[in-house]
Amino acid sequence: MPETATRRRPAPVLAVEGLSYSYPHATAPSLDAVSLEVAAGEFVLLAGRSASGKSTLLKAACGLVPHFHGGQIDGSVAVAGLDALAAGPGRLAAAVGYVAQDPETQIVSTTVSAEIGLPLEMRGDPASSRARAIEEVALALAIPHLLDRTVDTLSGGELQRVALAAALVTRPQLVLLDEPTSQLDPVAGDELIWLLRRLNEEWGVSILLAEHRLERCLAAADRVVAMTSGSIAFDGPPRDFLAWSQENDPALETPAARLFSLTAIDPLPVGVRDARTLLASRVDLPERGTGPPPNVFRNSANPAPRTIVPAPQRMRERRGSGAPLSARPLAARDLWVELERNDEPHDVLRGIDLTIAPGERVALMGRNGAGKSTLLKAAAGLIDPVRGKLEVPGGIALLTQNPSDFLVRERVGDELPGDAGLAALRTVGLEHAIDADPRDLSGGERQRLALAIVLAGRMKGDELPGVVALDEPTRGMDRSRKDELTALVADLAERGAAVVVATHDVEFAAEFAERVVLLGDGVTIADGPAAEILSGGWYFATEVARVLDLPGVVTPEQGAAALREAGS
Amino acid sequence: MRSPLAYTPRPGPLQAASPGAAVAYLGALVTVAFLYSSPLVLCGAGVAAVLAGRLASATRAVRAAVKLGLLIALPIVVVNALVVDRGATVVARLGEWPLLGPVEVTAEALADGAVFGLRALVAMVAFAVYSACVDPDRVLRALRPLAARSALTAALVSRLVPVAAADAARLRDAARLRGPGAAPVGKAPLARRLLAGSLDRAVDVAATLELRGYSLDHPRIRRATGGFSRPGRGELATRRSRFDRRFYATGATVLLIAIAGELLGADAFRAFPTIEVGLAPATLAVAALIALAGLAPLRRKPRCRSTPVATAPGARPLGAPGA
Repeated sequence: MPETATRRRPAPVLAVEGLSYSYPHATAPSLDAVSLEVAAGEFVLLAGRSASGKSTLLKAACGLVPHFHGGQIDGSVAVAGLDALAAGPGRLAAAVGYVAQDPETQIVSTTVSAEIGLPLEMRGDPASSRARAIEEVALALAIPHLLDRTVDTLSGGELQRVALAAALVTRPQLVLLDEPTSQLDPVAGDELIWLLRRLNEEWGVSILLAEHRLERCLAAADRVVAMTSGSIAFDGPPRDFLAWSQENDPALETPAARLFSLTAIDPLPVGVRDARTLLASRVDLPERGTGPPPNVFRNSANPAPRTIVPAPQRMRERRGSGAPLSARPLAARDLWVELERNDEPHDVLRGIDLTIAPGERVALMGRNGAGKSTLLKAAAGLIDPVRGKLEVPGGIALLTQNPSDFLVRERVGDELPGDAGLAALRTVGLEHAIDADPRDLSGGERQRLALAIVLAGRMKGDELPGVVALDEPTRGMDRSRKDELTALVADLAERGAAVVVATHDVEFAAEFAERVVLLGDGVTIADGPAAEILSGGWYFATEVARVLDLPGVVTPEQGAAALREAGS
Repeated sequence: MRSPLAYTPRPGPLQAASPGAAVAYLGALVTVAFLYSSPLVLCGAGVAAVLAGRLASATRAVRAAVKLGLLIALPIVVVNALVVDRGATVVARLGEWPLLGPVEVTAEALADGAVFGLRALVAMVAFAVYSACVDPDRVLRALRPLAARSALTAALVSRLVPVAAADAARLRDAARLRGPGAAPVGKAPLARRLLAGSLDRAVDVAATLELRGYSLDHPRIRRATGGFSRPGRGELATRRSRFDRRFYATGATVLLIAIAGELLGADAFRAFPTIEVGLAPATLAVAALIALAGLAPLRRKPRCRSTPVATAPGARPLGAPGA
């Protein structure tokens, strides 16, 4: 008998069979007859819109559902041979690791080494084996230099790696990750995905990764599972998934796939390299941009050279070369802001010069800690600059990263009383929800309500304040919600407000912004039209820009036009 | 912004010492503060605590503790002066007060209150140095074999308190950013929102603990061969530091000096009926010796041995005889 016939298929690391689940007091099930297997060493990407059941499925695979959350469950879940419904998260911890969206929520200890060693300590491992395991996992994730640090001094990317290390230290066979890159800048996000791929290849760890930014991780996946309304709607290879999403749920299409579908090129590409290879054999592309991308990652000891891209004619007209600074909704001159970091004073903004015109849509980009949020807080008067001039003559309405911070009452109308409140609600399209409890609103509606709260009273009639600023508004959003936000931002700009959005999301920035200001370590390292800035780099570039590498081409529509031109 | 009292890892002897040694050392200073009433000895203990903090690079913590300590000490002095009606030297007659009756402030009551305040100040500075220099995870790991769940609860508190402080700062920012047309946020709704957020965080942390194996029922140390036992020599070695002896010895010496001083009558202070501050040699010696205990976290500069510069075969290193 041939060897292949006698070889047994390895038992799946995760086997879900007919799983249905409802959270306590829920009116509809979150999972509906889900069946899924993940083989040993497989990298599976879990796609789907918000509230499609991705997170619940991950929680069922690690035992939190139903052991921690309660609710009603049917079907079976087996992890590495253990019955997850019987074993519970504690016993499953040796076989499965879980990393949540917000690493802050899963850090328990004060120092990094204690945090990583906690699962082993809970298991009762002796100190010597704990020390070795901590050292090895720290080396694998390139974080040995962090071991003695306290967790509150880490950046978001570092914290996410620490959470991953704590999940990996018991050497689990399966790691579950729930949107781990949503809080990370493009650099840290890409690094995390490729780190997962390396762990998958070298350690043989199976990965089940739920993500919204599919363009970031599709190329790393062996298989994609797409969920819709608590059920599995698709299960297959990444390329087939793209074909499926094109027909069934275009909101899940990657930008490169959309580029290909707009130009009727087949098959659809899985990642940038694949797209380039496929294009090279079919289209005669114009000559690609040459030269290195702008270096935005230098430290203060070695400041990056400024790359000031010339603004297009329309922007120059808007900014008005001879207009006084006071005519601008936001004008900063030689702005320096100092904050304390690790008990030491640190210049977070170092001589920022920035003017923004009425109605301009500006994306403020840069790595975590580059100074984006600090700039917005300084403009809103939350932080005093130590040097320089900052003027916001028409006022500023700033919505910070967590809209829930603004919601303190149990009725929308109580948050926004009177005519000013009603005008603000009308501006964001929420006047119908005046009697609703903010907790009953969807994520997008809560965000709009928070925006209305910061706008209320800063409007003169229907006239908006000079600047409307949003800090990281797309965290954890799927594409349909981002499209709604893009429309809202466009409407605010149409009505004359300068809209400034601090974001890590290059695809969102390409959709909404006409200008991008790229900060690096507190200085402006690039400032120009979005199409030029987002097509001139590796990390702060859209997927289409990375595929085509053509100046000024960042969205699938622009790319399709360029390809048609090249073909004609 | 981080709290000045938050633990910050630094390469100092006090930070490297095991929690037990640090507690023995700083605890001895606090014990002196509660054992003695002599302002001189209390000042000596205060100087020791401040010096220890400065040498351990916890200057911010010391400064914050001194500020807070003064804020607490001042009301102690005032209240003591108002409620204690003993003492011969009246410095102010404040007339008839409801509940208190006729109030006369005496210099003795002020001095008595100042001693209480000084005591609180010393204890606060010592605690601040402890908080900034001793890794809470090590403390809790040391306590875990005795009371695993309590230790974990304490770990969570020490982690969640600064997180709650950061949440509160964020909520305050959000309250300031509300438009003038939105309903203002008073302290009560803000506190409610903070509580709700803290409860959400607590649920997240509880879920994380479940995932880390909290429900497993063997928190004790397990030997590689199986079964449970007391920590082995190797494990103990990883918990110790070469500075431990220094701090244990200093703590013990401080206590011995304090007890000997008490026996020799060094605690010579009486507030009533008139202020008497003893300046006997024993009191001065105790105060000075205890103040010197603040030098325990001093780090000696590493001794460098001169090494010969790489030389060609046969050549003598510089400075060698015959070179």
